[in-house]
Amino acid sequence: MQILRTISFAIILLLPFNAYSDEAKNWLKTEIDKIIYAYQNNDLPNENRFLMIEQTINNNFAGSGIAKFVAGKSWNGASKDTKLEYIKLFKRHLALNIASMMQGYSNQNYELKNSDYDEKNNVSMIDMEIYSDTGSILVTWRVKKSKNRYFVIDLLVADISLVVTKRSEFNSMLKTVDYNLEKFNAKLIAQNDLSYSKIIN
Amino acid sequence: MNKFKQFLATLVIIFISFNLYAGASDDVNTSSDDFETSTFEDEIYDPLEGINRAVFGFNNVADKVILEPAAKGYKKLPSPIQSGIGNFINNLKLPLVALNQLLQGQGKNAAESTGRFFVNSTVGIFGLIDVADDFGLEQKEEDFGQTLATWGVGDGFYIVLPLFGPSNVRDTTGMMLTMMTDPVNSYASRQGEGWAIPLRTAANAVDQRSKIIDQVNALRDNSVDYYAAVRSSYYQNRKAAIMNTDDDILTPLPLISIEFE
Repeated sequence: MQILRTISFAIILLLPFNAYSDEAKNWLKTEIDKIIYAYQNNDLPNENRFLMIEQTINNNFAGSGIAKFVAGKSWNGASKDTKLEYIKLFKRHLALNIASMMQGYSNQNYELKNSDYDEKNNVSMIDMEIYSDTGSILVTWRVKKSKNRYFVIDLLVADISLVVTKRSEFNSMLKTVDYNLEKFNAKLIAQNDLSYSKIIN
Repeated sequence: MNKFKQFLATLVIIFISFNLYAGASDDVNTSSDDFETSTFEDEIYDPLEGINRAVFGFNNVADKVILEPAAKGYKKLPSPIQSGIGNFINNLKLPLVALNQLLQGQGKNAAESTGRFFVNSTVGIFGLIDVADDFGLEQKEEDFGQTLATWGVGDGFYIVLPLFGPSNVRDTTGMMLTMMTDPVNSYASRQGEGWAIPLRTAANAVDQRSKIIDQVNALRDNSVDYYAAVRSSYYQNRKAAIMNTDDDILTPLPLISIEFE
C-alpha cells in the first residue's frame, strides 16, 4: 500500500512536466504548420512568403534574447539605439536563415516525436523528424515558457545548435571590428540584403 | 473519513505541484551576465586560421564547381537507387565501425554492427538493401577519431584539409588510421583494383553532400562569416558523435532571456 502511495505521489509530481511537454508540442505543431503552409502555397510570391515566415518567426522566437546572447561581449559597450538597431537586424537575419533552410521544402512529412521537459532550465526539448524518400533528419526545438506562452530559444539540426553557431560566427566577425556593435550592424545590413535578394529571386 | 482526507490531500498536492511548476515556468529571469559568461566561441583552438581560411576558400570553390552539382545530379536519381548506393557505401564502413566500437568498449554495439554487416551483405544483396534495420540492428557511426577521443586524446588544433574539409589533429590522425586499416580498401589494393578506392571516397562524398544540400546552402548564403560557422558546426557535430548522447543534453544550453519579447 505504501509503495502504491509513493508511486501515485511520484506520478502526480511528474504530471505537470508531461502536461508542459505536450502543450509545448501542440503549440509548436501549429506554428510549424503555418511556415509549411507558406511553402505549400505555390501561388504566393516569394516576397510575401518570406514576410509570412518572418512574421511567424518574430512572433515565436525569443529573437531579442537570442540576439543579445549571440552579440556576446560586444553587447555591454553598445548604446541603447545601437542595441535596438542590432536586435531588429538580428531578427531579420534569423528569419532569413530559417527561410533559407526551408527553401528545399517539397512536401516532406514530419513528425514531432519525443518531448522532454528540462526542469533545471525550464525548457522543453521537442524532437522533430523530417522524412524524405532516402532517409530522415532530426531537428530538436528548444522551447521556453514565459508569461503563459512559449518561445523558441534554439533549434538544433543534426546536433548543431543554430544559436551556438551564430554566436561563434558573430564573435569571429565582431573581433574584426573590435567588438563594436555599431560597426557590426553595418555588416549585418549588408549580409541581410544579400540573403534577402537570394530568397526572393 | 480517511478516504475523504486522502482525496483532499491528493487534491492539495495536485494544486500545489501545478502552481509550483507554473510559477517556475513564468520565472524566466534574465541573468545580467548571460551574454558574457559563455566561452563557446573561444573553445576552438585555431592557430592556423590564416592558412585554414585559404584552404577553406579553395574547398568552397571546389564544392560549388564539382561536389554540389554532382550531389544535385545524384538527387535526381530515383530514390531506390540513391538509397541503394548509400546503403552499399555504409555497409562497407561497418567492419571498421565494429572495430572502433570494440576499441571503445561498446561490445553490444560492436555485435550489432557485425550482425548488420552480415545480414545486409547476404539478405540485403551486398548491402544494397538495409534489411538489418527491420531486425532492430540500427546504423551507428564510430571512427578512429572518436576512439582516440574516448581514450582521452584531445582535439588538437583545428585544420581544414584540402578537399576533405574541416578536421583537427586528432580526427586527421583518425582519418589516416582509417585509410591504412580499411579492409575493403586493402582488399581492392591487393587485387590490383586500386582505382576503386578514390571512386569509393568520391561516391561517399557525393552521397553525404546530397543529404545536406539545403543546410549547406542556407549556411553559406546567410553567414556573416561562413568559415566560423562551419568551424563551429564541425565541433558541435563531432562532440555529439564522440559523446554518443542525446543532442539535447550535450549541447551547452544558452540562458536565453525573454524580457524584450
